[in-house]
Amino acid sequence: MSAKNVFKTAELMKKIMKDYNEAGRAAKEGGRPVAWVTAVFPVEIIYAAGLFPYYPENFGAVAAARKVTHELSTAAEAKGYAGDLCGYARSGIGDAYSEEHPVGKILEPDLLFCCNTQCGSLPKWFEVAGRFYNSPYFLLDSPRVGLETDRLCIDYFIDQLHEMITFIEKQTGEPFDYDHLTEVLHLSNEACRLWNEILDSAALRPAPFGFFDACFHMAPIVTMRGTREAVDYYRALKEEIEERIEKGITAIPEERHKIYFDHIPCWPKLRWFSELFASQGALVVASQYTHSWAYSFDLERPLESLAENYTHEFVNRCFEYRVNRKISFMKKYDVDGFVLFSNRSCKPNAFGLYAKSKLIREKTGLPGAVFEADMADLRLFSEDQVLAKLEPFFEQLH
Amino acid sequence: MIHAAGFFPYGIVGGSTNLEEANAHLQAWACSHSRSALARALEGKLDFLDGLIIPHTCDTMRMLLDLWEHVRPLPYMENYRLPRQANRSSAGKYLLGELKRIKTGLEEFRGAPIEDEALRDSIDLYNQNRRMLRRLTDLHISYPHLISSRRLYTVINASMVLPREEVNRLLQALVGQLEQDLDGQAGDGHVRLLLSGTLLEPFEVLDYIEEFGGTVVADDFQNGYRYIEGDVNTELAPLEALVDRQLKRIPSAAFDIEQNPRRFFLTGLAKGKKAEGAILLHLTFCEPENFDSYDNLKAMQAEGIPATRIETQFGGSGLGQIRTRIHAFMEMLGGESR
Repeated sequence: MSAKNVFKTAELMKKIMKDYNEAGRAAKEGGRPVAWVTAVFPVEIIYAAGLFPYYPENFGAVAAARKVTHELSTAAEAKGYAGDLCGYARSGIGDAYSEEHPVGKILEPDLLFCCNTQCGSLPKWFEVAGRFYNSPYFLLDSPRVGLETDRLCIDYFIDQLHEMITFIEKQTGEPFDYDHLTEVLHLSNEACRLWNEILDSAALRPAPFGFFDACFHMAPIVTMRGTREAVDYYRALKEEIEERIEKGITAIPEERHKIYFDHIPCWPKLRWFSELFASQGALVVASQYTHSWAYSFDLERPLESLAENYTHEFVNRCFEYRVNRKISFMKKYDVDGFVLFSNRSCKPNAFGLYAKSKLIREKTGLPGAVFEADMADLRLFSEDQVLAKLEPFFEQLH
Repeated sequence: MIHAAGFFPYGIVGGSTNLEEANAHLQAWACSHSRSALARALEGKLDFLDGLIIPHTCDTMRMLLDLWEHVRPLPYMENYRLPRQANRSSAGKYLLGELKRIKTGLEEFRGAPIEDEALRDSIDLYNQNRRMLRRLTDLHISYPHLISSRRLYTVINASMVLPREEVNRLLQALVGQLEQDLDGQAGDGHVRLLLSGTLLEPFEVLDYIEEFGGTVVADDFQNGYRYIEGDVNTELAPLEALVDRQLKRIPSAAFDIEQNPRRFFLTGLAKGKKAEGAILLHLTFCEPENFDSYDNLKAMQAEGIPATRIETQFGGSGLGQIRTRIHAFMEMLGGESR
């Protein structure tokens, strides 16, 4: 996405995210409990219960995009939180201890909810935060799932959803509204469907939309799925993309190659990466990351369906499943190569990546590269080191 | 359960080894425990194994099994997916299901069922083992000159890799001999220390502590007290009893219990064992420890227990520097003047 090529919808995005943040502050002031949640969490229950869901990971990503992670982290590191912890966690903990708030103060939680499908860092971070802010914390535990559907994990998750609803009822003093949950799930389905149709447009040659655009437009699917605003937003974005297809406006000027990328982008260098790929005529078209929010809930069996969707999310799956999924995206988007990001902040995605890369090359014959950096902290990023991995990769594309 | 299936349980800890091959597979910022364990496998040093079970204690362990399976497969490989919360009723129900799943896998691999009777016998054997190791620990605490810290932890670690029947026979003889020797002996004036961390490594730490007048009276290492605390309740059905023990284990950084009860467990332990100081051995890149060590140090300070944190690595700890740090800490506690 070059500067000249900004989506009209970007303005709408700024507005709805501004409204969302203001709603958070208003909730805090008005006594509506602010609930911290993680990105891959059944937020539908939080919306249905009338709590305000807040995403500290989003705070971490904003701090990273504004290139201030290391500033916030300094306050956490001064307390003894090691510099090799997840950059988002260091931003959040740093903000708690810091006098300075370069991206505004994190919204303090009244309750904390965490699902550990993504990693073990989030629960530890939320635990620390729960103690710091003296707020009750609920962990939704999701054991790792292999290749097959795992009934044991689904049943365990359903049991915990019941426990969580009881926990929420105790906190709010109100019975949980299952009818409202059905409405929220319907809206969540709609937003996920639209989001994935948008992502699919990257398969067109040339494409009107790519991974770096998706990174820009993903905040509502993460934070607001289950709301009317998210559905309206993605409807508007989809219309704009269709308009662009008609007018022949493409994501990059001369698309010659399509690339698969994993996983989270390097937020402080998003533009640098997007321009680097564009300069090679390469459009990054897909990533497991942006495709995470592809839920489909059965409104007839809400809790079962929430458990099936969230426990079986790719981040919670085994090596082989993840390799197969990457390859299926590569086929679907008909890519010419792949780039895998060994992200210091994300052990579950980084460990095993070299073996995965080798296996994918063997299975697909595609050129691929793995680079080392951090999604948030510029102290762990070196342009030269990244280029040393990507330049030989680009040569293989030509 | 592994023992009852007729297999030989062998506990893997990292070690000092050549990391060159492991570097190609596991990033340098993975903990040295995982890297050196994988390195040992890649060098063929663990080829005698028929199977491997890795418990899910952290993200690194969660990812390690799959990677290991890919680069050095063994006939039987399994994740032990422990619940990450232990204080709600769903945890016990799930864990029972997970143990049944692993039992079924072991039975398939073995080609025969694991009988309850065999499981009860194995539980008894391991309970006896833990009891004797705890007795040995008590003897060490009271009479460190009879059995030093280094020797105590060497015995505990040996029991992780030797046939348990043999270990129990040897332990019985050792404990019997020590009980004879201690007749008329009094404890001495060592500075009493608590050690805390994921894994006790390097063992030279124990030598330095004793060199400067100290002795270890408490710990919570996986290859220390955590390994020998708590017995399996033999009144319950075997699998239920294993669940019961697991959920009652002493607090760990690896499990998500919101108030970090480990910090209070550690200060309580220090007081109970009359520890005069605490050393937190922090395995570099150990993420659960990284999140909790600030709290743990703060809790020690709040209770007036002098504490220090020393970073360690399997195969890579700077021993000279560690010795200097321990020397300084022991001096502060008045170790050498006793």
